[in-house]
Amino acid sequence: MLNPDHFIPPVELPRWRAWFFERLPLGQIAAFLSSKGVPRHKHSFWYYFGGMTLFFFCVQIVTGVLLSFYYQPTPEHAYESIRTIVNDIPHGWLIRSLHAWSAHLMVGMLFVHMFSVFLMKAYRKPRELMWLSGVALLLLVLGFGFTGYLLPWDTKAYFATLIGTEVPKSVPLLGAWGVSLVKGAEHVGEETLTRMYSLHVIVLPLIGCVVVAFHLLLNQFSGVSVPTGTAVSKKPIPFFPDFAYRDLIAWLAGMALLLALATLIPKELGDKADPMASAPSGIKPEWYFLPLYQTLRMVPATVFSIDGELIVNAAVGILMALWVMIPFMDRKSARGLKSPLFTGIGIMIIVYIAGSILAGYFT
Amino acid sequence: MSEGPKEIGDRRDFLKIAIGIWGTLCAAPVLGMIIQFITPVAAKRGVRESVLVGQMGDFAQGTVKIVRVNKDPVLLIHTAAGQFRALSARCTHLGCVVQYQESPVPHFGCNCHGSQFDMNGVNTSGPAPRPLPPYRVTLNGSSIYLTHA
Repeated sequence: MLNPDHFIPPVELPRWRAWFFERLPLGQIAAFLSSKGVPRHKHSFWYYFGGMTLFFFCVQIVTGVLLSFYYQPTPEHAYESIRTIVNDIPHGWLIRSLHAWSAHLMVGMLFVHMFSVFLMKAYRKPRELMWLSGVALLLLVLGFGFTGYLLPWDTKAYFATLIGTEVPKSVPLLGAWGVSLVKGAEHVGEETLTRMYSLHVIVLPLIGCVVVAFHLLLNQFSGVSVPTGTAVSKKPIPFFPDFAYRDLIAWLAGMALLLALATLIPKELGDKADPMASAPSGIKPEWYFLPLYQTLRMVPATVFSIDGELIVNAAVGILMALWVMIPFMDRKSARGLKSPLFTGIGIMIIVYIAGSILAGYFT
Repeated sequence: MSEGPKEIGDRRDFLKIAIGIWGTLCAAPVLGMIIQFITPVAAKRGVRESVLVGQMGDFAQGTVKIVRVNKDPVLLIHTAAGQFRALSARCTHLGCVVQYQESPVPHFGCNCHGSQFDMNGVNTSGPAPRPLPPYRVTLNGSSIYLTHA
């Protein structure tokens, strides 16, 4: 338990601030944050991307709450409510565009953060739990992207969800059942829309906030990792206020980029989904699902009389399991040694993901 | 040089104030935008469009029906003399929807707190502070249009 006698302002403060310092352990928090140091070395730049991901997550929450004031999750009203938001509600087009673009930027920052953590071997002991919670956040973010995609109920959203919910069906035992849980019916329809909405605005945010809090708490316990074999300056950057201000600058740069994208390339709304109409040409998932999409395209329908989709799903499952287990497999970095094998694996994965995104986008 | 520390203090104070003003200038339009976004559009514009509520044959003489005008319930009264009149069905006390009641004399009553209005919408008893607001009735052939007066 915190001792109230320790609630002493570190310096003489204005009366209103002193009032809070006398009642809350703000002095202790301030002392902890100013004693916390961020290592200073040639790779310190990569530390900003976790904060940037968090920033775009916050933008998602604010804009998502605002959109939920008007959005109606039924096939009859979903599309019209989005059209009302875009055309009739003041700044509605901007709020929607900010929500869509900050989702892209959040996923982008998360990938940069994850691979920088991987290549700096920041997952090694004692930060295995940070890695595990980080992978959980990756899956949650992809879940946010998938469940949010259907909500505008336009043609592209409808058919992309139709395809996306068919792919995992080939997973033995749980595939068809899992898909039926998300779809709520045999075909994508109103049951799917309400389930996607519930997952997108209630279930995933609740789990997401808990996991984000856990991830950040672990960061406070373990501190910031230094890459193995990197020369570190003796004088670390104080987390507060120095690093926090630098983080703020990065967030402002992110905000500027987000505003530029949202205003110059506003999120479009296609035609209203018609389940009776033919699927339009050129339907593709969002860029962060393109590696899976491209892999599915490359694998034949059957390989040695085994279903091609099953092979891809099995491969993704195995790779994901291996990805989760990385901190426990990389024994060298756990001992503080360099592990070029894992660096090579990481670079190969980055090249494959980047290549398949480009191939999926341009073909 | 003896004034150095004070100069640093002054500079820090200036920077704090400048950052505070800059932050406020950045936050104010964002807050304004959010307030504009969440303010219901109809409340700002006011709804004045005429709404078709039915044909004359749908309303028998000497009856009262509740019809929907935009999102509001409206009492459409077809009097025994053959005239059409319309009043808001929202009680002027706390907004419950009133009911047509025939006895002891025809009137509109609110079940929430017992307010009563006569057939002209005038508040006659209970806590309702004002009469029921009237709607303008326009007949176009046999079609009946109502407009918020």
